[in-house]
Amino acid sequence: MVKLNETPIRTCKNYNINEIEFDEKIPMKIKKFENVKIAQETGKDEVIEDFKPNDFDIKYGSGLIENLKENYNKSIRINVNSKMNKDIKLEFDFDEKNLELFENIEIVGNEDTNSNIYIVYRQRTTGKAFHNGLIRVIGNKNSKISVTIVNLMNEESSNILSIDGKLEEESILNYTIVDFGGKTSITNLYTNLSGKESQNSINTIYLGSNEEKIDINYIAECFGEKTSINMEVQGALKDKAKKNFKGTIDFKKGSKKAFGDEAENCMLLSNTSKSISLPILLCSEEDVEGNHSSSSGKVSDKELFYIMSRGFDKKSAEKLLVRAKFNSILETIKNPEIKGEILYEIDQKLDK
Amino acid sequence: MAKTKIDDINRSVYDIKNKDDYDYKIKKGLTREIIEEISRQKNDPDWMREFRLKALEVYNKLELPTWGPDLSELNMDEIATYVRPKGKMASSWDDVPDDIKNTFDKLGIPDAEKTSLAGVGAQYDSEVVYHSMKEDLIKKGVIYTDMETAVRDYPELVREHFMKCVPVYDHKFVALHGAVWSGGSFVYVPKGVKLDFPLQSYFRLNSPESGQFEHTLIIVEEGASLHFIEGCSAPKYNKVNLHAGCVELYVKDNAYLRYSTIENWSKNMLNLNTKKALIGKNAQVDWVSGSFGSKISMLYPMSVLNGEGAKTEYTGISFAGKGQNLDTGFKVVHNAPNTSSVINSKSISKNGGKATYRSLVRIMENATNSKSSVSCESLMLDDISSSDTIPTNDIRTDDVEFSHEAKIGKISDKTIFYLMSRGISREDALGLIVRGFAYPISKELPVEYAVEMNNLINLELEGAIG
Repeated sequence: MVKLNETPIRTCKNYNINEIEFDEKIPMKIKKFENVKIAQETGKDEVIEDFKPNDFDIKYGSGLIENLKENYNKSIRINVNSKMNKDIKLEFDFDEKNLELFENIEIVGNEDTNSNIYIVYRQRTTGKAFHNGLIRVIGNKNSKISVTIVNLMNEESSNILSIDGKLEEESILNYTIVDFGGKTSITNLYTNLSGKESQNSINTIYLGSNEEKIDINYIAECFGEKTSINMEVQGALKDKAKKNFKGTIDFKKGSKKAFGDEAENCMLLSNTSKSISLPILLCSEEDVEGNHSSSSGKVSDKELFYIMSRGFDKKSAEKLLVRAKFNSILETIKNPEIKGEILYEIDQKLDK
Repeated sequence: MAKTKIDDINRSVYDIKNKDDYDYKIKKGLTREIIEEISRQKNDPDWMREFRLKALEVYNKLELPTWGPDLSELNMDEIATYVRPKGKMASSWDDVPDDIKNTFDKLGIPDAEKTSLAGVGAQYDSEVVYHSMKEDLIKKGVIYTDMETAVRDYPELVREHFMKCVPVYDHKFVALHGAVWSGGSFVYVPKGVKLDFPLQSYFRLNSPESGQFEHTLIIVEEGASLHFIEGCSAPKYNKVNLHAGCVELYVKDNAYLRYSTIENWSKNMLNLNTKKALIGKNAQVDWVSGSFGSKISMLYPMSVLNGEGAKTEYTGISFAGKGQNLDTGFKVVHNAPNTSSVINSKSISKNGGKATYRSLVRIMENATNSKSSVSCESLMLDDISSSDTIPTNDIRTDDVEFSHEAKIGKISDKTIFYLMSRGISREDALGLIVRGFAYPISKELPVEYAVEMNNLINLELEGAIG
């Protein structure tokens, strides 16, 4: 058993939120992952496969980074040179022959560039897969990077992902994260906002069913003046699914005029689903503004009644409401194929 | 942008030091022999002596918390856990030794007793020196006495409830309390009796390098009602003092209890206090809490809503100044249907102080149709202070309405500008804003405490710096 996804600051251990205990066997000496599709709209950006990553040194991470360093079976480096905001797509398809993926993805947004990157982890077959990944993003001065990460693994598998970002002056990094798959899905995301006026937004939707466990640990440290961090997490849980959300915004000394906002909403679709949230604000700088809000509860009876009075059955009405909650985040996904795939998955999960 | 300076709390009254003149002081440290000696000095019944020894065993097994403020400077080998003051417990202030009476006079306790209280208990170091209650309440069957008397005179009632609400294995400092507790108040309000005026216990620690471990046990029977006020203070010494009290509240069906506390310990005090209420059907407990003093506080009152329709409200403020680390908050467990909780917390940090709001809201599987609303706001008054919020929300059923919101930041320049444009000076504008920030809490305090709190928040302006 290992402890993963530790919060940057601990609270009482009886609250069962400081970390998640993970007792599955972690694969060693794994073979190469073959099912990778890479596509880019413009040829200006460099996408280098199987580069030799020499830096796994990140501040937080899931807790399985050492394991990843020893065993990675795929690495991709993207150097963004274009200002055109064109799509780059990385798709990892798990199947019977490709059940273990330990990848290192490095994204470098060069100065004054603009990029839109999709990373999809998909599993349409049965079988227990294991994913342990690291995505590193470096936003150089005045770069704008949008990264959409979609987890569509099956309900037997384990998904463990560390995301680490560093932002220079006036750079913008927007994450959209769709977390729908895995018996256990653990995400650790850290952003270092050291550059003046750098901005980071994290928009996440999650959907848990059966006995899935979702553990989300987002940490943003504001060092630079006038930095901005915005976390919005919308989720729904059905059956016996459990979710831990830990979100930390840390205003460091010197981050004058920084702004941070954190909002989490969890819809509970069964009386056996469980939600724990820990929205942390840490503040060592006076001249900042930080807010967080968190809410949980079932689907509103009034809203359900209204939709059902229009001829929908309860399940369809519930589905509509979940999609409506997710909609503002789904709207940030511009690629129609990927968006369609996500909408299909929402229906599939809620119909079961 | 202007910098504001809020004065430290004026502690001249609280810092009155009497000579460390006691009847008996146990040697420093924490051993089985010391616990047996405390028990002997207090003429404990056998069950209490055994209880203390068992608590010591638990204390030795439990680890220090792995979270929260650094407690490494606490060395139990340097703390005397029992100090018996001179004189016996009196029911007239005239019978209290002069230096002790003078201290309580300056703290305003006898005056408050005359004007606005139904009863008063006053503890000095480890023992209660004064206890009194209005005659008519005695006739109604209300019991308000020190814990030692309660152990002796109401053994069954005490034994049934003592450290059952807060078991000794809850955490290390509760176990310590179980081993060395001394003093405190016992209140029993019979079925249907409603007290029109509050009872107040005041805890004063005078002796240096010592600890205070008072136990407060309150039982409010069905349909009864009580307002209990607790005050605490100590003069400042160079070495660490320790406060590890324990408050257990049993509030039965349809009963009401308001528990107000102003903690104003000195800046060398480690305040590791534990408070918990078990709340019955349609009963309500309201907590009003002001934390101003101490070097380190770890204080998280807790309500357990065990009865259907039970309610709780928490209204708290903390004010962390230079050298202070106040880690405070609230815990609530919804353990029955139709329960509700409202939590409203504010903190001010300045001059290098650290204020942390830490909380737990847990809504259990059976707590259907429950509601919980949490709001916490933190105000930082300079750039050398810090302020954290660490709330845990654990929701285990779908049929709930839960919401939490928090804000952190400084006084808005726009608000100051707006007030100044109406002809108000900058100093007055800042004063208005800070008092306005604290107002939702101060209006819940007993009036004499509200006035005191407003006096404590004394604004000064220190020039304009770019």
